[in-house]
Amino acid sequence: MICAGIDAGSRAVKAVLVDSRSLATLGSSVLDQGVHQDRTALAAIEQLLAPRGLGRRDVARIVATGYARNIVEFADTTITEITCHACGVRHQMPSARTVIEIGGQDSKLLRLADDGRVRDFAMNDRCAAGTGRFLEMVAGKLEVPLGRLGEIAALATNPAAISSMCVVFAETEIIGLLASGAHPQDIIAGVLGAIASRVAAMVGRRLEAPVAFTGGVAMVPGMDSALAGVLGRSVTVVNYPQMTGALGAAILAARSCGQSEKG
Amino acid sequence: MTDAPARITLDQWDVRYARLRAGGLAEPSYGGPLGRHLADGDRRLAKLRYDNSPAALRLWNFLLTEEDRLFAARQAGRKIVGVMKDLGTAAAMAMSLPNVTAFYPDGAWWIPCLMEHGSGVLEVAASLGLDDSFCPVRAMLGAFATGEHFPRPDLLVCSAGAVCDDFSAIAQLVEHLGNAILWWEMPARRRPADGEPAVPLPAGFTAPASQVAFVRGELDRVRKALGELAGLELDDQALAAGIARANHARGVLDELRLLAYSAEPCPMPALEMLIAEMLIIHYCSDRDEAPAVLEGLLAETRRRVDARLGVLPAGAARIFWVNPVADLRVMNLLEDCGGRLCGTELLFCHSLEPIPANLPPMEALARTALADPMVGAVRDRAERICAEIIRFGAEAVVVSRIPGASHCALEGGLIGGIIGGRLGLPVLEIEAPELSDSMMPTLRTRLEAIVETVKERRR
Repeated sequence: MICAGIDAGSRAVKAVLVDSRSLATLGSSVLDQGVHQDRTALAAIEQLLAPRGLGRRDVARIVATGYARNIVEFADTTITEITCHACGVRHQMPSARTVIEIGGQDSKLLRLADDGRVRDFAMNDRCAAGTGRFLEMVAGKLEVPLGRLGEIAALATNPAAISSMCVVFAETEIIGLLASGAHPQDIIAGVLGAIASRVAAMVGRRLEAPVAFTGGVAMVPGMDSALAGVLGRSVTVVNYPQMTGALGAAILAARSCGQSEKG
Repeated sequence: MTDAPARITLDQWDVRYARLRAGGLAEPSYGGPLGRHLADGDRRLAKLRYDNSPAALRLWNFLLTEEDRLFAARQAGRKIVGVMKDLGTAAAMAMSLPNVTAFYPDGAWWIPCLMEHGSGVLEVAASLGLDDSFCPVRAMLGAFATGEHFPRPDLLVCSAGAVCDDFSAIAQLVEHLGNAILWWEMPARRRPADGEPAVPLPAGFTAPASQVAFVRGELDRVRKALGELAGLELDDQALAAGIARANHARGVLDELRLLAYSAEPCPMPALEMLIAEMLIIHYCSDRDEAPAVLEGLLAETRRRVDARLGVLPAGAARIFWVNPVADLRVMNLLEDCGGRLCGTELLFCHSLEPIPANLPPMEALARTALADPMVGAVRDRAERICAEIIRFGAEAVVVSRIPGASHCALEGGLIGGIIGGRLGLPVLEIEAPELSDSMMPTLRTRLEAIVETVKERRR
């Protein structure tokens, strides 16, 4: 039997299919989020099913998560990103005690108990300074592909000091830095550091190792080391970090079917 | 529509009201359909869900007619006293006089929530220099300036000293508008030093005897001013009678809270409990009717508990709530997300405690005033919250912050840390402005997540 998870995020819709018994991942897809969010979610799941000659009826249960989860009308139920990311991380990295997730428009901190349950969590979604949107703004301003930010930042010799308090002010700072001749690599390294500082402020004194890093921003090379530098702890990027929420949702769907062989 | 406990909309209430009236529902003078308050401008009411009991109807009507009551009191020649930055003490003193009506101008912070953008009080406050970087209590300044929400008081008393910066600034601007204020000083409560004479306070706190004596002296000035205003001596006998009345109301509320927060399934919604608790600060300007309203709510709650009836499905996540919300919708949202209220600390827990009746009245009032959670250390407040969490068996805690409120901004994280460390419960911090419509999705995610966390912990 197959179960599915859909993470309808602010920037992308992710879908994962799992075997409900073994919880093995059967496939995953990512689509850019659109105006018609329900249709995008449907397309993401059908993109997985069609090549396998499967239809919606072959999926025993679908769980939707993400900020647009309630728009996914074909889902059987919804579960928050907090619970889904915890589940997805637990599946991939059972030893994790702290999860940092940075997505397109928010960032989250999860503290996990030994059995993987959420002990506590905090979210930042009032300010873009600790989110992927900050990186998008910088990439656009510096005319650099998003995927190359980390590579370029690695060349920095004198990382710039960027405000970690507000993206709007940070943009002004970046314009000023460019005007004063600062190198793009130093600016990018400064931005990665600013995001890491913002997340570290949310973490406060609540950090317990091992630390798992997930969410779309975890795919940016160099972001993990920027975080590790600020936190003073090593940070492990989970496999396919963008898919963690959808994976967790799929696993929770399987669990609710009562068929999974694993917890 | 059945009579089973339920949360219903304003429209549904008006239908139900017609049916109850046809069935012989007896109402006080301020009774009537809830929908009329919407027509009067309380737009927020259309977006709330209410308990469907006649007792809740009475509670809402009592709350929403306070302005009428105050203007009627003025017409009747009663003396109007505004007790600012006072959470139950000066109000109890003022209401010990037969010809005085006391009210709580600070309560104007709820006007924008009830009237949404229709009141204009925040805009007026902004024009007077207080924008949205200040606590929502700035609505009080707008209300004083427009004079539309309460009559100009004959006497204004306000505590100073251990008061948050925002409130201090707002109150001073109220005075600059030409509203003379009798200031009385409340010191920051401290723990007695070794060997220093100490006295116990309500809520389990202690304070140096010298601080209590100082507050007693300050309250004596208030007492004198109240007596002069009323043309009557506010003697110990009158104060003792006022304290007895206050303690009766507090006792009713205490019983209501214990039942509502402990019983399973949840017998009374969070929103009605929030309003009920708020009544105790200043009785909605009617010292005689407020206890009766609370008694009605208690009787309904008891009836439901005895019949094992709930207004929410059994098994809701038991949430302890810290700090009042500026937007009443958030209390509905908690329940929509699968939670229920299971204890509160809304910044005035000392007003829920009985005023010591075995002490001289002014001593008792001074000790009660000094037990205010906002004038002591965060640690004291957190300890009190921990005790209440244990009392009601809460499974998680929500610390609610109000943008611009300087007190909430700093305390929330510290309290959350202490609670989490001591009790090991999940603690969620949220921030909700007066009108949180645009934030509802994110608030929903957080509240759903804390409910999921609680339910996962039960397994």
